[in-house]
Amino acid sequence: MRRIATAERPDWRTKAADCGFGFHTIDDAPYWDESAYYAFSLREIEQDLEAPTEELHEMALDMVGRIVDSERHMEQLAIPAPFRDWIAQSWRERQPHLYGRMDFAYDGHGPAKLYELNYDTPTSLFEAAFFQWQWLEDQLARNQLPAGADQFNSIYESLVEAFGTIARGIARPFHFAAVRDSVEDQGTVSYLRDCALQAGIECDLLAIEDIGLSADGRFTDLDDRVIGCLFKLYPLEDMFREAFGAYLPKAGLQLIEPPWKALLSNKGILPLLWEAHRGHPNLLPASFDQGDELPRGWVRKPLHSREGANIAMHLDDGSEVRTDGPYRDGPCIRQACHPLSAFDGHYPLIGSWVVGNRACGIGIREDRSLVTQDSARFVPHAIVEEARGVLIA
Amino acid sequence: MKRSRTAALLLMGTAPLLLTACDSENVAREGLYTSVEACVAQTNDSHTCKQAFAKAEQEAVATAPRFADRESCEASYGKENCTERRDNQHHSFFGPLMTGFFLSQMMRNGVAANGFTSGPAFRDGNGNWQRPAAGAAGGVYRGGARTAMVPVNATPNRAVTTSRSGFGNSGSSRGIGG
Repeated sequence: MRRIATAERPDWRTKAADCGFGFHTIDDAPYWDESAYYAFSLREIEQDLEAPTEELHEMALDMVGRIVDSERHMEQLAIPAPFRDWIAQSWRERQPHLYGRMDFAYDGHGPAKLYELNYDTPTSLFEAAFFQWQWLEDQLARNQLPAGADQFNSIYESLVEAFGTIARGIARPFHFAAVRDSVEDQGTVSYLRDCALQAGIECDLLAIEDIGLSADGRFTDLDDRVIGCLFKLYPLEDMFREAFGAYLPKAGLQLIEPPWKALLSNKGILPLLWEAHRGHPNLLPASFDQGDELPRGWVRKPLHSREGANIAMHLDDGSEVRTDGPYRDGPCIRQACHPLSAFDGHYPLIGSWVVGNRACGIGIREDRSLVTQDSARFVPHAIVEEARGVLIA
Repeated sequence: MKRSRTAALLLMGTAPLLLTACDSENVAREGLYTSVEACVAQTNDSHTCKQAFAKAEQEAVATAPRFADRESCEASYGKENCTERRDNQHHSFFGPLMTGFFLSQMMRNGVAANGFTSGPAFRDGNGNWQRPAAGAAGGVYRGGARTAMVPVNATPNRAVTTSRSGFGNSGSSRGIGG
């Protein structure tokens, strides 16, 4: 795995505009960054990222089955009592899910280490599935990449296929909802909807704020139609505590991601996985935080933190790194500290995508600090075969 | 190859692919409605909606599940959702209130053909819709025996919205992506 500086496509901003990629620059700071790319060998991709992703995904699904049978685990994950049976039922019915993203620390040496599962509201999807793919094709055509360069990225094909597979199980009308004013979230649901349409599923967009409630406790769209299935790019745990949340268990509304995903997007899954698979090469030691002082070599993360918010790291050398954020209260976990490796002063975090149940691609976000936050930039990657030439001294 | 062979965009791109035209000839229009008004809003056909509602209400007496007492009815259908009914022999029993009705019509080139079928729908205590199984008409109460009911997957097409903006307050100040 190497970080390689490279020439940008001169017209990439036009191309971004042509495909509706409006958030390539956020608050005047670059988000899409193709001034460099990460090069992997096929072995690194297949053995170190693809295979562990599939294995960890299976372990995670298996863990869902154990959590729904355990009041103690539900308690540990701070699942509010009124939603527990509903979540458990959604798992017993195996309500269909679509996608998720695992975040790994990986630098080409040693096993990838799982930081967390983003299994409820993962973003950076469009840039990984589409714009990164287009970058590779363009740079191959411009001879800016070694001939035969490839990319671990069948995310698009997997999405269309996954939608096709679950199409019959999706109640209609089917809406994709995200926060109205979030350009990035709107971009993500627009892309997902595009893939659903390509799979032949009729569907629409709806702002999460526009969802209505009828007198008999069902959820409606702006035409007063009762929503059959809602894809919500909005955290389940936030929905639980908002005004309409109490109606969810009895509204007859199908959700994607389904309620059982609340157990996986929760960082409490990390200590549970560690307990069940202690010593697994892709897992970091983890436990539920009791609130006492954080020893060296450990990281504290809130159960529900997103975008690297409210993380406290106590590094081996005694230094501390803390990020601010909105998740100040509530239970936490701690995880053994395994800092990201620096590449030319950048810290890349690997997002490994699971669509349906298949590991199907990666997207890399790099930040200037050890904690990957919403300031991170998306940097493309390529699979480049290692030089075969043997230097004879 | 580890990447997609292609990566098309349908609506997001500036050069959208062509959608194949839908077959707009003979299709059935089916709806589950919670009121005549909701039906009219959807179909623009108040005459048919009224007829369908009346026919469903009549049928509900014959095909609704029957219970010996209010308690056992409410155990299945929820508080306040049951009513006392009498059959032809004036035997008293309890059954759920009709909470919706089906209307099914054939459409020819976008216009409703003459004739329709309709029937009652009920909502159990868990919020799931159900309707009497085909051939259940005339179901007779026998010591608690229940009319066979089949679950309905369709959600009613319209419902009067009483409030909005009950979701979205936590995330409005930030993107929520993980």
